[in-house]
Amino acid sequence: MIPFLVRRFFQAIPTLFLASVLIFFVISLAPGDFLTPARLNPGISEEQLRNLSISFGLDKPAYVQYFYWMWNMLHGDFGTSFQYTQPVLPVIWPRIVNSVWLVLLNLVFFYAIAIPIGVYGAVRQNSFGDKSINVVLYFLLGFPSFFLFLIVIYFILQIRNATGWDIPLGGMTSNNYDQLSSLAKFWDVLRHLLIPAAVLALTDAAGLTRVIRGLMLEVMRSDYIRTARAKGVSERTAIWKHTFRNAILPIVAGIGGLLPGAISGAGFVEVVYNYPGITPMLLTAINAQDLYLIAGFTVISTILLIVGNALSDILLAVVDPRIKVG
Amino acid sequence: MTTTAPQKKVKERSLGQSQFSVAWGQFRKNRLAKTGGVGLILIYLMALFAPFLAPDSLSSYSTTDITRFQPPTPVHFRDPQTGALTRPYVNKFSQQLNMDTFVNEYKATDEKCPIYFGVRGASYKILGFIPGNLHLYGTGNDQAGCNVFLIGGEALGRDLLTRTLYASQISLTIGVGAVLASTIIGLFMGALAAFFGGIVDTVVMRLVEVISAIPYLFLLLLLRSVFPQNINPIFALYVILGILAFIGWGGLARVTRGQLLSVREQDFVSAARALGASDNRVMWRHMLPTMTTYIIVTLSLSIPGFILLESGLSFLGIGAVEPYVSWGSLLAQAQEGGLSSLNSRPWVLIPGFFIVFTVGCFQLLGDGLRDAFDPRKRQ
Repeated sequence: MIPFLVRRFFQAIPTLFLASVLIFFVISLAPGDFLTPARLNPGISEEQLRNLSISFGLDKPAYVQYFYWMWNMLHGDFGTSFQYTQPVLPVIWPRIVNSVWLVLLNLVFFYAIAIPIGVYGAVRQNSFGDKSINVVLYFLLGFPSFFLFLIVIYFILQIRNATGWDIPLGGMTSNNYDQLSSLAKFWDVLRHLLIPAAVLALTDAAGLTRVIRGLMLEVMRSDYIRTARAKGVSERTAIWKHTFRNAILPIVAGIGGLLPGAISGAGFVEVVYNYPGITPMLLTAINAQDLYLIAGFTVISTILLIVGNALSDILLAVVDPRIKVG
Repeated sequence: MTTTAPQKKVKERSLGQSQFSVAWGQFRKNRLAKTGGVGLILIYLMALFAPFLAPDSLSSYSTTDITRFQPPTPVHFRDPQTGALTRPYVNKFSQQLNMDTFVNEYKATDEKCPIYFGVRGASYKILGFIPGNLHLYGTGNDQAGCNVFLIGGEALGRDLLTRTLYASQISLTIGVGAVLASTIIGLFMGALAAFFGGIVDTVVMRLVEVISAIPYLFLLLLLRSVFPQNINPIFALYVILGILAFIGWGGLARVTRGQLLSVREQDFVSAARALGASDNRVMWRHMLPTMTTYIIVTLSLSIPGFILLESGLSFLGIGAVEPYVSWGSLLAQAQEGGLSSLNSRPWVLIPGFFIVFTVGCFQLLGDGLRDAFDPRKRQ
């Protein structure tokens, strides 16, 4: 297991390195340099400008600048956000944590919806339930997540007007969050997260459900399942232990690849829901041409993704013992 | 005794039926796929003739009579007094400020504005060169309040249906254009990697890996931030198309490379080389054509994803910008003035159903094409 992890770690380094090169390259394509907004700011003196310019090596060629940028980043210095006139990392970190919560809860819902429906569709293949679920899911595939979410919000508004329930409609916390006990705080945040996470999971789950159904069907026809049945294992064991565990291997392998889509998909919902996540801040940063902030978000989320990929590989090794040998 | 297997219906087929005619025959049997195809033809015709179908022009609005978020105007067919059928008409609407809630309210007056078919109105050019000023329907009078808003008005008081119809031109083009562009890039890069191998191969495949490692939304935003915010709206559309194409070519390049590497070793390629065909000819006449079905299927299956992505970007305000409009940017109005005001104007959600319809049709068509080209699914 350990050599596998070490190998996995070293494989991630070139990808991360090249991703940072790409991000740096794109940023240096933008008109002006990092200091253009600062020069326009009367609050920043000539002295500071010169210091900044030296610390980022702006007087040197591009590849040297890259190494300065990389070197600073390895020391936890992602540059200064010109919008907030603060170091980037403390500004973006809470946003990233918020987004990660949303994505994690979304993934929980995602699998909680897709796995039972997919297994049901395979076990009761071509039944009325299977067919009607298929039609609904096919229909859901066509909905952009933000549009489905707007529709859900419309119905929530109707329910709120009709019954007076206090269903949260935006943000991450209620107004009186600071006065709540820690357990109540947790419940408050969870209450705000439930609806966006569920809606997001519903739009995404359509694809995965069909995949799980297909994989289950394929495994169910194999000889060892027939053998297991012939030996007299219960139907439940045959499905969940013998079929399901083998059928989900490609899906476990794909969890890492799913994360970029999950984070991006969550972005649209964050904007609609006015959730203090990554994407709303990123959009304002684009309007303000706050390049360090954009680069910081992109670099950190890329790192998180690569970590997520490694985790999914480890998970795969846990589920599929054959991996560890190889 | 010989028995024939009952499921084998031997049909008399003319010899030399091409793969495409087989696929076409399969496709025609698939009712769902045909429905998708017909739906797409209809919606593309709608986009083409949008200026004629729409009662107004893309961004004409009155500065004196601001009909911001006017509710849909019901069309009446019966005369209220006699109850007899008449020419369809809408009521003239007047605006009043409700002094209790301070909300502008629209009230129907008794005055009738008859609807005529084929009225002359704002002039337009279909496809940029066929001029006209005929519109399918309209009241044909410029009086304030005499508007036919079949699905309501939008934030600046323009007809939402007109905007939606014009938006279809952009929404239906950008997605398809981006898929075509990314297919070309993907094929080119994949062929490059397979053909030259070595360092080129490593660089291209690493680039694919890196692009897929960065969350696509952030990469999109990062790339968009390279261009200034206030660029020419037309140029902005090309920028979005280019960016979408740039982030989308990776998967195809990977498949192309794999396919070409395996084909390179096959006999017909060696034969072509032995006959003295040039590299160019081998690539274009012998190797790339093996990808045709795969490309047709992935093309049609990846278009819906790109249409969804484009609508998302426009929704975030970095796709189509004023005066141009796409379905996504029309949906962005739903957020104006806080989400709780969505209750008072649910009709701004209507453009979203056009997205759902289009994406659904493309999916049906794509699935149909995939099944039609798949020999295991032949009927």
